[in-house]
Amino acid sequence: MIIRRYLDFIWLSLFWASGLLILLVLSAMLAYLIWRGGPALSLEFLTASPRGIPLGAQGGVYPAIKGTFYLVLIAVVTAGIPGIITAIYLTEYGMQSSLKEIVNLTVQCMAGIPSIITGLFVYAFLVVQLKWGMCLMAGGIALGIMVLPVIVLTTRDAFLAVDNNYRWLGASLGVSRGYMFLRVILPQSVPAVLSGLLLAMGYAAGATAPIMVTAAVISSNSSGAWFEPVMALPYHLYILFSEHTSMDKAYGTALLLVLLLLVVNIIALWIRSWQGRDFHNDFRPK
Amino acid sequence: MLRKIATNRRQFWDYIMGNMAAFIAIASTALFLAIILFMWGESRPIWVLQGFNFVGGTEWNPVGHPPQLGIASMIAGTLWVALGAMVLAAPIGFGCAIFLAEFAPVWLARILRPILNILTGIPSVVYGFLGAAVLVKFFEKTFNQASGESLFCASLVLTIMILPFIVANSESALRAIPREYRQSALALGVSHQYLTIKVLVPLAKKGMFGSLVLAFGRAAGETMAVLMVAGNNLLMPTAWFDKGEPIPALIALEVGSAEVGSPHYQALFASGLVLIIFIAAINLFTNLLMQSTRNGGSWR
Repeated sequence: MIIRRYLDFIWLSLFWASGLLILLVLSAMLAYLIWRGGPALSLEFLTASPRGIPLGAQGGVYPAIKGTFYLVLIAVVTAGIPGIITAIYLTEYGMQSSLKEIVNLTVQCMAGIPSIITGLFVYAFLVVQLKWGMCLMAGGIALGIMVLPVIVLTTRDAFLAVDNNYRWLGASLGVSRGYMFLRVILPQSVPAVLSGLLLAMGYAAGATAPIMVTAAVISSNSSGAWFEPVMALPYHLYILFSEHTSMDKAYGTALLLVLLLLVVNIIALWIRSWQGRDFHNDFRPK
Repeated sequence: MLRKIATNRRQFWDYIMGNMAAFIAIASTALFLAIILFMWGESRPIWVLQGFNFVGGTEWNPVGHPPQLGIASMIAGTLWVALGAMVLAAPIGFGCAIFLAEFAPVWLARILRPILNILTGIPSVVYGFLGAAVLVKFFEKTFNQASGESLFCASLVLTIMILPFIVANSESALRAIPREYRQSALALGVSHQYLTIKVLVPLAKKGMFGSLVLAFGRAAGETMAVLMVAGNNLLMPTAWFDKGEPIPALIALEVGSAEVGSPHYQALFASGLVLIIFIAAINLFTNLLMQSTRNGGSWR
């Protein structure tokens, strides 16, 4: 009995330790980033172009911020539309067909494609074969392919979370599925869909592998032209470190990137918490 | 009469919408196949010429005459890094999942869950950067090495990256267990820890195992973190502390400089194909495993 009690105590402390370890790891990482990168963050860092020899040792990261913004925008537009429609198919039109099962399974598999493979595919297809060269559009599409399964899965879950009774009610009243979806299902799932899109944007903003061979370059003014190469924050960080340009600037860029994604994730969680509030005066029993 | 036309029109539109949605769903899915087929098309000469020597060979000298193309050491590097991360992450991840599902006080769980979310949101290049700037430096200082990069370092960085996935998936597996088990066990007077170890974990082991395998796939395909800390050495790794160059790092480093259409270029696509098939197989396997659990397999 006493052994049992000791064992229980040991198990309990192990569980606590592993929980606290994760807490410790994250806070240590954030604290270290803020300590090392904080001094580099300044207004100039955010609004100036990289300068100095080697390039990036002085100045700021403004073009990289702009480039990342464009890349993410293109990614979420190219992936968002087919992604959401696929999710609509899966939840509203798919029924019990085997096609739906196949689509579901493939999307799961797609979510597991390593991002470097997406980059390789886009590089060979768009950059080399279609002769686009390294450009914003190719990078955006690469990121789009990467986030497509994320968007499908989050929006699918958002639609599935809507009470199925609505669908049955609609069907029993003879309302068409499209009408039902647009007027009842969609309004209720808007917050979850939006937060899913935001999470996908955050995911795209931090990805390096798909853009390092398709769009990102060491220096560019990131004008936003579709067929010009751009700078991007994650790639800039990689270059600053691997070319030994400037550790301070690298820490600053890393901190900026983390803060950016933190903000995006928090907004996404906040929007998600809207879910369940009434967006239209529906006929739910109060 | 008018009403009938209106209904018909509505049905017509519904029909169109349904088919369009199906078409786009198929197109999105076909993208996956297109990627695999494309990789196959680009790398076919390698498979025709070298066959399985490509996977088994350990010499990588793509610009030599004749070029030597064998990716066995990269495959070994990939497996070593990913398996290492899995071994390191499993105890911590499972411990944390059990903690969150069973033991954590509510306030602490409210802090921990968002933190796990934040950890998944941090981009891999930042993990790689921190790993290279802190961990590698630490190894250099403590063990007096010329360069501290190693597969072990990469495994450590990947461990932190895959932990949140293991925790989240294992926790939901633990929570999916019907309450009756908990109640009847507690009614028998066993301690909460005993209940967890002897009842809950065995019941959730399929889901927990699945989460581990998914995390393994993720670790195997991770590029930036590995690229920055694994050391990028083309020799066959024989120990955990050796340097190595996993497949994603190989592709990321060399694809920009490989001449289009050369054996080097094709070999990079072939190694990409190996990687994607490996990871897709893992995902497919886990999905089927999870499905059999959901449909009532082991404990319903």
